[in-house]
Amino acid sequence: MKLNTEELIAELIEQTRININKVEKFRELSESELNHKGNIEKWSVLECIEHLNLYGVFYNPEIRKSIEKSISKPSETFKSGIIGNYFVKTMLPKKKLNKMKTSKDKNPLGSSLNINVIDRFLSQQKEFLELIKKSKNVNLTKTKTAISISKLIEMRLGDTFRFIVAHNKRHITQAENVLKQPAGNKV
Amino acid sequence: MKETQLLIKSIDNNNLWEKEIEIRRNEYLKVKGSIDTNLYFIKNGSLRIYVIDEYEEHTIRFGYQNNFIVSLDSFITERPSDFYIQAIKKTNIKIIPKKTFKNLINSNLELQNVWTKILEQLILQQLERERDILTSSPIERYKRVLKRSPQLFQEIPNKYIADYLRMTPETLSRIKKS
Repeated sequence: MKLNTEELIAELIEQTRININKVEKFRELSESELNHKGNIEKWSVLECIEHLNLYGVFYNPEIRKSIEKSISKPSETFKSGIIGNYFVKTMLPKKKLNKMKTSKDKNPLGSSLNINVIDRFLSQQKEFLELIKKSKNVNLTKTKTAISISKLIEMRLGDTFRFIVAHNKRHITQAENVLKQPAGNKV
Repeated sequence: MKETQLLIKSIDNNNLWEKEIEIRRNEYLKVKGSIDTNLYFIKNGSLRIYVIDEYEEHTIRFGYQNNFIVSLDSFITERPSDFYIQAIKKTNIKIIPKKTFKNLINSNLELQNVWTKILEQLILQQLERERDILTSSPIERYKRVLKRSPQLFQEIPNKYIADYLRMTPETLSRIKKS
C-alpha cells in the first residue's frame, strides 16, 4: 500500500490531537471513576492508559534512535510493509471491540495507579509529536524500528507510527467504553 | 476592537463561517507539527498559544472572547507550525478557512484596509511583546503587561500569566501583593 508521506504525517498528527483531547477529558474524572472496572479481569480507564504508557516507554526511545541513526533521505511516498500493515489492521477498532492478548510485561492489571498515569501519557504524546516532526528528515519506508513483541522483526518507521496511533486509539476507545458500563456488568 | 467587529459582520453577512465547534478545558485546537491555515473567532471562552522547548511549555499569546486566534505562521506560509493552541476553559469557536477569508478580503477594498489595520496592530503588539521579553526586572515586566492588557488578569489563570511573564507563579503572586 502506497501513501503520500505528507498526507500520512498530517493524518498521524491529527489523530494524535484527537487522542490527546480524549485523554484530557479523563483528567476531569474522579480517581474512583478512573479506577472503576466492569469486572476484576477487565481494565479500568487508568489501566488502559497505563498500558499505552508501557508501549510509549519502549517506542519513543526506539523511534528516536532509529531516526538519529538513519542516513536515508525523505521520500514523497511511503510504502507500507506486509507485517506493518497487518499489525495496523489488527489494531483498528471494529464496531464491537474484539479481544486481544496482551504480553505480560505490557499488562497493567493490578498495579496501583493514579492521575499521574494521565500526565505521563500526555507528555509522551508531546514527545511523540516531536518525533513525527523529526521523521520528516528521513525516509519513512527505509528507516526501520524494532517492535516490542519480537526481536526478530523490524517495522518500517511509517508503519510503526501508524501502529502506535491506531493502538492508542483502540485503547482510548476501550477506556471510554469502561465508563459507559454499569458496575459488575459482564460484556 | 472596531476592525475585528467589521470583519465579523461581513463574514456573518456573507454566511462564510465553515462551522462552529466547542472545545473543553485543556483540549487542543491545534498541536505541534500540523499545518493549520484556519482563522478562528472566539465566541466565548479563552485559549492560549504555546511552544515546547526542552520539555518546557512557553506561553506566547492568549486569545479572548470576541477576538480572532490563528496559528499565524501556518496561516501565512501554509507550512507546518510548532504551536499548540489549547483551551483554557470551555470555548466556542467559529471557523473560517484561509481561502474563503482571502476571497472575501480581496473582493472589497474597505475590508482589505481593515485587515491591514489588524495586521499593523498585531505588529505593534509584537514589538511591545519583544520589549517585555527583553525587560530584565520581573516587576517591570508585570507592570508593562498589566498596563497594556488588564483583561489578561481578569480572564486567565495565574499559572499561565506567570508563564507568559516568564516568572514562577510564586513570584507573580508576591508581586501582585506588593
